[in-house]
Amino acid sequence: MFGFLKKVGDYTKDAVSAAQTLSQGLSVTFDHLRRRPITVQYPYEKLIPSERYRGRIHYEFDKCIACEVCVRVCPINLPVVDWVMNKATKKKELRNYSIDFGVCIFCGNCVEYCPTNCLSMTEEYELSAFDRHSLNYDNVALGRLPTSVTSDPSVFPLRELAYLPKGVMDPHGVPATHPRAGKLPEQVLETLAKPSTPVEPGDQPQ
Amino acid sequence: METNTIVSSGLDLQASFIDALQGLGLSSSTARLIWLPLPMLTVLVAAVVGVLVNVWLERKISAAVQQRIGPEYAGPLGVLQPMADGLKLVFKEDIIPARADGLLFTLGPVLVLVPVILSWLVVPFGQNLLISNVGIGIFLWISLSSIQPIGLLMSGYASNNKYSLLGGLRAAAQSISYEIPLALAVLAIVMMSNSLSTVDIVAQQNTAGILSWNIWRQPVGFVIFWICALAECERLPFDLPEAEEELVAGYQTEYSGMKFALFYLGSYINLVLSALLVSVLYLGGWGFPVPVEWLAGLLGQSVDAPLVQVITGSLGIVMTVLKAYLLVFFAILLRWTVPRVRIDQLLDLGWKFLLPIALVNLLVTAALKLAFPVAFGG
Amino acid sequence: MTIASTTQQICFLVLAATTVLGALGVVLLPNIVYSAFLLGGVFLSVAGLYLLLNASFVAAAQVLVYVGAVNVLILFAIMLVNKREDLSAIPGLLLRRVLSGTVCAGLFALLLRVAFTTRWALPGPLPVGEDATIRIGEHLFSDYLLPFELASVLLLMAMIGAIVLARRDVFASDVITGEPVDQGLIEKARSPMLLERGDTSPNPSSPLVETSR
Repeated sequence: MFGFLKKVGDYTKDAVSAAQTLSQGLSVTFDHLRRRPITVQYPYEKLIPSERYRGRIHYEFDKCIACEVCVRVCPINLPVVDWVMNKATKKKELRNYSIDFGVCIFCGNCVEYCPTNCLSMTEEYELSAFDRHSLNYDNVALGRLPTSVTSDPSVFPLRELAYLPKGVMDPHGVPATHPRAGKLPEQVLETLAKPSTPVEPGDQPQ
Repeated sequence: METNTIVSSGLDLQASFIDALQGLGLSSSTARLIWLPLPMLTVLVAAVVGVLVNVWLERKISAAVQQRIGPEYAGPLGVLQPMADGLKLVFKEDIIPARADGLLFTLGPVLVLVPVILSWLVVPFGQNLLISNVGIGIFLWISLSSIQPIGLLMSGYASNNKYSLLGGLRAAAQSISYEIPLALAVLAIVMMSNSLSTVDIVAQQNTAGILSWNIWRQPVGFVIFWICALAECERLPFDLPEAEEELVAGYQTEYSGMKFALFYLGSYINLVLSALLVSVLYLGGWGFPVPVEWLAGLLGQSVDAPLVQVITGSLGIVMTVLKAYLLVFFAILLRWTVPRVRIDQLLDLGWKFLLPIALVNLLVTAALKLAFPVAFGG
Repeated sequence: MTIASTTQQICFLVLAATTVLGALGVVLLPNIVYSAFLLGGVFLSVAGLYLLLNASFVAAAQVLVYVGAVNVLILFAIMLVNKREDLSAIPGLLLRRVLSGTVCAGLFALLLRVAFTTRWALPGPLPVGEDATIRIGEHLFSDYLLPFELASVLLLMAMIGAIVLARRDVFASDVITGEPVDQGLIEKARSPMLLERGDTSPNPSSPLVETSR
């Protein structure tokens, strides 16, 4: 008899705790109703990519020495370096260079290891195409500079959350002059004791 | 069309309409014949409009919960988005899979939708504002909703697809196991109001405004009913017949175009219907939180005055719909709050939790009815 | 003839035709799934006939019990075991069919004779209409109490029988390791956890392990 009563008691306790948990969850979702949407209306508004964004790779044909380091450090040996040996000058003569962005994983190893800095990451991420073969960029396509989000007149640039002033959650309508929360890299440098080696100040964020 | 057994103060559109037509020189039976399809058409249109509103609310509230914007380009605030959805479904190609059973495949969605629409027969929006005040009222809804699993099994079987068959079986199992606690919860209400008729059930609740609503006398029944109604509608904590991760889309997998639209329509009409019935059974139906008679007396108006009658009639419709949509809002919020249950948890909840509680609730109600006949409808 | 009586006549004819044709289909169709769905149709049209007789409560109960429960369970059983395979030929099928057809025809003739020779009291008793619910309740709890209770006892027996048939005894602990097993979800079909009924040999682990291999 007593055991049965205990069972009923446990049962009721379980039901009550379930109801409590459920109402807790409901209060969370209800609370979300009054928050502003964080939607970025994409083709009209775009987030500004961060400074170290790893987008489409930019390539400068004239700087390249056809050393093929990029091919060796690439996880899948993706870049195609087409060169011939010029017998007269005894130098490599670069003819073509291409990277297939349908296969690239944007790890940035090639950029990291390029001895002449002819490879670099851009902030371009809109790589959709009707045919996957058109993602195979040759040296001309690789040499094009992307339109920056901030300079495109048809796009309203929005700052990402980490680049907003302190306490601001909504990037809409924040003036570009308002500084981001926290210190900029050069401000951090000023507070530090004299660095032993000169360090270049970081990029100015938006 | 049956005439109401309880003729009391309140709008009687049927009588006034027939009187007006007879005034134009038509015979009594012709006037009745013209009147006959009108309430049905009105309710059908109301049900479809209710679904459109429901779809829009679902999209907008879901968006708000997830801090998105939701539809906003189709009409102001995206109110035309459900229309666009419906149009798209109408114009889509109607595909019957090659190895499917064409006849059953077509009949399935119809069998799912028709009982739900028929159940609107007993939903009252006012003393005389319902299609038919049949004596078995709420029991008609219970028995009609038990036809639905046949349609689900039929479409699941006819699709010739294992996901469809599993989804159909799950849906049928779910709806027959949640029908029992649902019926028991309704039975407790019926016991208190001494009638199966929805009109009587509401009338019995509207003696003292909000204080006499059944939710205070049947809080446990209210919870049971709402959980079971959500399970019957396959709303989110219980939407495992169409669990995307496991069954693609359950019994709807092979459907497209208008046949899919029938399923879609059926599930939303069912949700609105369940919400309306909760408001009828537990939240006083068309009743205003303060008794209308009392308000009219305060303003020095007679309850039988034509203008007051029109106002109370429209207030009743507004109140019923408002209560129903509050519950729909709650259901949508619940959708984004709780995760889907597993099939064993679902059946555990139905058979081991809701059924005993519903039985105890019924017994307690019966005991209370005998002990306090004044408060529990002796 | 008024509109109401014409409508009633048409409804009756349609419902009767659906009932008869549907019932024939249930018996004669080779596809068992079609038979089951047609059975649902027959139940529904019988409910329609009840409605025509002003017995709305009985009609609703017919839909709830026969369509909503019985027919769904039949469909469930068919769909759970449905393998879509042709049955092996039964010897003497034609003779069997002729025999069962004769029996059915004889029964039908008997029923027809009863229907034609009985003096039906026409018109029948007045329909009680909406009061039927109350009257049914009163009868069930007074003069029909014993059959009502007997029927429920019968259902209870059927239920217990089903449980006994379907239940497999499960060890609360793993036979090999002796650790307690969470039976809530972990597959009960795992054979070392199972003990066949009556298989209570002194060393229960060895035959079970063998069967599992």
